[in-house]
Order: sequence, then C-alpha cells, then structure tokens
Amino acid sequence: MMRNALIKRQRVIQKIRQFFEQQKVLEVQTLTLLNTPTSDVYIDSISSTVNVDIGMQNTQYLHASPELGMKELLAQGSGDIYQICQVFRDNEYGEHNSNEFTLLEYYRLGFDIYQLMDDMVSLLQVLGIKDEVQRFSYAQVFSQYADIDILNADIDSLKIIAEKLGLTADFAWIEGLQMLLFVHLIEPKLKELPLCFIYDYPKSQSALAKVEGQVAHRFELYLDGVEVANGYDELQTKSEYEQVFMHETAKREQLGKFIPPVDVSFLSKLDNSLPQCAGVAIGINRLLTQIS
Amino acid sequence: MANYSTNQFKNGLKLMLDGNPCSIVNNEIVKPGKGQVFNRVKFKDLITGKTLIKTFKSGESLENADVMELDLQYLYNDSSAWNFMDPDSFEQYAIDGTAMSDTKGYLVEQDMCTVTLWNDNPISVIPPNHVILEVFDTDPGLKGDTTGTGGKPATMNTGVVVQVPLFVSIGDKIKVDTRTNEYTGRV
Repeated sequence: MMRNALIKRQRVIQKIRQFFEQQKVLEVQTLTLLNTPTSDVYIDSISSTVNVDIGMQNTQYLHASPELGMKELLAQGSGDIYQICQVFRDNEYGEHNSNEFTLLEYYRLGFDIYQLMDDMVSLLQVLGIKDEVQRFSYAQVFSQYADIDILNADIDSLKIIAEKLGLTADFAWIEGLQMLLFVHLIEPKLKELPLCFIYDYPKSQSALAKVEGQVAHRFELYLDGVEVANGYDELQTKSEYEQVFMHETAKREQLGKFIPPVDVSFLSKLDNSLPQCAGVAIGINRLLTQIS
Repeated sequence: MANYSTNQFKNGLKLMLDGNPCSIVNNEIVKPGKGQVFNRVKFKDLITGKTLIKTFKSGESLENADVMELDLQYLYNDSSAWNFMDPDSFEQYAIDGTAMSDTKGYLVEQDMCTVTLWNDNPISVIPPNHVILEVFDTDPGLKGDTTGTGGKPATMNTGVVVQVPLFVSIGDKIKVDTRTNEYTGRV
C-alpha cells in the first residue's frame, strides 16, 4: 500500500515535469536556507543557527516558499520557470497543514491570472483531474452564497455580520473579517464543487499581487473545498515590493510577532524590474489527495 | 471554570456555547493562503441534540462544560419521574422533562442507560442500542405471511410506535434498534 502511494507520487511528479518540458518552462532550484525570514504576516519561518563550532555563528531560515528566489531569477532574465521543493513553516498543524510540505511553484511571462488559471486547468487535466471547472470572483461568491457585497462592505458592517452569526468580531483589519466570513460561509459551499477558482480578491488581501480598482488580481484553486493553489499577477518594481514588505512588517509588529529585517539582498536584485508575469504556488500534498 | 483555547480543541471535548453545553463533533483547522488560522468547528448541543457550526480565530477560547457521563440502571417510573440507580454507588437519580423526551419509549426495567449530567443535572438519557419491547397493540396480521415482506405499525408497551412485519401480533416480544426505531427481530 505504502509503495502504491510512492508510485502515485512519482507518476504525478513525472507528469508535472513533462507538462512543463513541453511548454519550455525551465526547472530551477533556489536556495532552501536563507539569510532573511519571510515578512508574510501570517507565515512564520523556521530558523536554524549554523556554524557555531567554527566561530561563525549565524542564523539562517528555511524557506517558507521559493517565491523570492525564483523572482530573483525572473528579474535576471530566466524566462518561464518552475520548481518543486519542500518548504517549511512554523506554527502550522492540522489535517491540511504541517511544518513541512511540497510546493510546486511556477511563473509564466506575459500571462495574466486568467491565462494562468486556464494553464492550470490543462495541468490538472494531465494529472487526471477532469472535473467541471467553476470560476467565481470573490465578489460573486459572496453575493451568491452569503448575499454580502464584500467589496463595498466596510469593517464595521462586516463586524455586525460576524456578530449576528455568533462569531468573534475582534479583528484589527478588514481582511481578517473577510477571511472569517469566507471560511465560515463560503468554504463549506465550495465543498460541493470539485474544482473551483476564486479570483479577484479585495485589495485588502493583495499580498504580492497587482491591484486594479477595488480588486487584487489573485486567485485560489479549491478542490472539494480545500485550498490547493494560490496565484498572482505579480508585482514588478522594487518600490512595490518595498512597500509590501514595510506594510507586512508593520502588521507583524502590531501583532507582537517577530519582526524580520528587510530583505535587502532580494530588493537589490530588483533594480531591473520583474517582467510582467503571473505565478502560482500549488500544494502537492493536498493535490495528491485529490488524485486517484 | 477552565477555559479551552482553539489549539486544545479536539473531538468529544465538552464546551459551553451560547449558554448550552456542547460537544465537539469535528474540528477543522483552516489557514487561508495569506491569512491567519481559523478553526471551523461542528458542535452537538447536548441539550437540544442539534448540530451547529462556528468558526473561531486561533487563540479564542471557550469555557469548559461540566459534563459527566454515567452508566445507570433504569429502575421504575413513579408517575413524576423515571428513576435510575448507579449500580456501583447505589445512588439514585430521578429524571424527568426534556432529558427523557427521546428516550422514554425505549426504557425497560433493569436496562443500563448512558445518562449525561451537566452541572450535576441530567440532560440526556441514551438507552441501550437494542431493547426488547412487548407489542401492546397492532392490527391482526395476514394469515400465512411469514416472509416479513410488507409491514404495519405496532404500538409497544412503552408507547413508542415501531413498523413491524405483518406476522407480529399483540403480546409478542420484539427487538428494536433504539437509534433508528427499527424492528430487528422477534424474541
């Protein structure tokens, strides 16, 4: 039985590699051990102190995602790239989360999120996931399943909705309430859909995605109600990344979390901006549970 | 009273929710790709029996519900209450009201029941999975029907109505599954 699971995993990884080879997307490997932890507000890096015995003590961080390493390559002209690697995150547990898991991350030059979603459908089909594809914008899904105008609702009106549902309204930022209501009201409905993309998130959840008007060009893929992938129309310029890092660091500070130093090494590589591209990270462990 | 934080949540934990004691049926940890951790928790209300779902952000806590389960023997009904006894301590419990509403039709003297106490008050009584009841009233069966196809309602000596095969008649003792209210055989 155990060997069958290993054979399945190998078959899936092989198919992923073939898919990208056919599309001339290059496999890369970036560093796992980094000088700077992630600045992501809700992702904590795992640290390790190295070189103690040789008097060169230094704290290193296991990468929580290969994102920045791959973006350095993109900025230097790598073209389309993908990577399959183990990533590490502290303070994660539960049925769908753990401290170490496998990510497939890939970037396509010139793609927007809609093209990337189409590309992912092709990849999923190659892997044997051929369910009907549903696509909802974040606003649509809230309107359809919860009758909430999520893009125009302010923090106070969302607090009232949360309280009426008997849930906590104790959130400092609007995105916390948006996510609470998504987890409570929307995700259970998505369990009825085998394959569903949610796209165009509120700009309060932009992360490293481009913002246009009220929305950030991001998407997530849900298979049977479990989030499997997270994709962006990627920010391109150094100043945009600088701004996001500062914003995230300030939030970490407000939450009393560890404050990471600014990743100056990454920013220095962005003197040449990233080419316009869309990228996505796919949880391979979660994906494998969906493949028979 | 102890509080339990979301990271201590597990199935079967009894907690207070909106003033009622509830038991965790399912605890799903959800972490949006770019967000904080939530627990989407399915509870069973131990008083009403209803299930409900609540979502908590990581770090929220709920008060422990002082709930205890006892295996008690049913003794007799004295018109004001149903009387049970702990066979180890011989302590007696008189139970009535809503705690009995789903159970009274399956109570047979001497049977062991699972009684749930909240703050020392009985809130539910679960009878054994199978009980033997006597048919108090049913229409006469069709002569010669022994195959058990078809069926008819029969009122038991406890008042509960069970669908039985046509050959079952008044005075018969039958075995009933208390979870589904189904006839499982003649004794």
